[in-house]
Amino acid sequence: MCDVCGCHERVHSHSHQTRTVDVNQSLLKANEEAAINNRKHFDDLGMLAINIISSPGSGKTTLLEKSIDVLKDEISIGVLEGDIETDLDAERIRAKGIPAVQLTTGGACHLDSSLIHKGFHSLEHQLNGKKLDVLFIENVGNLVCPSFFDLGEHVRVVLISVPEGHDKPVKYPKAIMTSQLLIISKSDLVPYFDFNIDKIKKDASALNPSLKIIVTSTKTGEGMEEWIDYLKVNLKQK
Amino acid sequence: MHEVSIALGMVDALYRIAEENKAGRISSVKLKIGKISGIVTDSLKFAFDAVKLEHPLLSEAEIIIEEVPLVYECNDCHVSSSAADIYIFACAGCGSRNLKLVSGKEQHIESVEVEV
Repeated sequence: MCDVCGCHERVHSHSHQTRTVDVNQSLLKANEEAAINNRKHFDDLGMLAINIISSPGSGKTTLLEKSIDVLKDEISIGVLEGDIETDLDAERIRAKGIPAVQLTTGGACHLDSSLIHKGFHSLEHQLNGKKLDVLFIENVGNLVCPSFFDLGEHVRVVLISVPEGHDKPVKYPKAIMTSQLLIISKSDLVPYFDFNIDKIKKDASALNPSLKIIVTSTKTGEGMEEWIDYLKVNLKQK
Repeated sequence: MHEVSIALGMVDALYRIAEENKAGRISSVKLKIGKISGIVTDSLKFAFDAVKLEHPLLSEAEIIIEEVPLVYECNDCHVSSSAADIYIFACAGCGSRNLKLVSGKEQHIESVEVEV
């Protein structure tokens, strides 16, 4: 390689011409291609894949635990848990008797489709040939970056909890615009916060008119039936 | 800080483009980034300028970003309106919220200047 320009000539005795190459490709092309492969793989297995995104502490793992309690005798569930560090969340899921793989990103603030590809194969090893009906992917707690990365899921669910405030949809529009379902979690805390449910619903619907919204509390059980029905309707379409 | 992941993905894409075009070096990369793409252009530039130094093919590459404005077309009165930085937006012509997004979500590599 020549020292002048990095070309493959040993001696730099030639001139270089520049030309423009039209590319017109997504900045996230590699992730998008791997996501298409994931989705095809999930479709071939007849499995519903759900990507759950939210800020840290909105109640993603608790929602999964409660959903597993209701569904585990009816349908077969697997979970991919995304976190920057620790195996804590996967342990919580395994404690329910559900196969789970922890994906630790080691600093990255989101999962991407190649991580899901690897994680799903590890999960398949745990299944010993058993078929899954639903794969839950719990993303890294972050309301910004995960919204950029299609993982090959069929449904993206975004959680916003009451203590976070009703202004989150307008502050984090991409999370709302790229999701199919908004779960407003911890509704039992509404009496203690200045949280305007009408306002958050109106803003979220303005950003994404086809967004479904369910108000839930894993403490009181509010909305849980509606959420479980939503899952079953989506599963039927698989 | 998804911009670092995006910059790393850009490096891979640029290697492929260079190979396909038998380029010795890449001198500039033109990007189109929409107003509501969610990509912070300064962060993407910062991340790309940091990672490119590890790659002789890209070490001199300049990143040129065209920011694409947020433009809606009204489904009721067909007037086009642009918005500076608000996401929940009503038509400037008739106030309707029945709008179609025309531009603002772009996040792609438009073209690359290669040295051959």
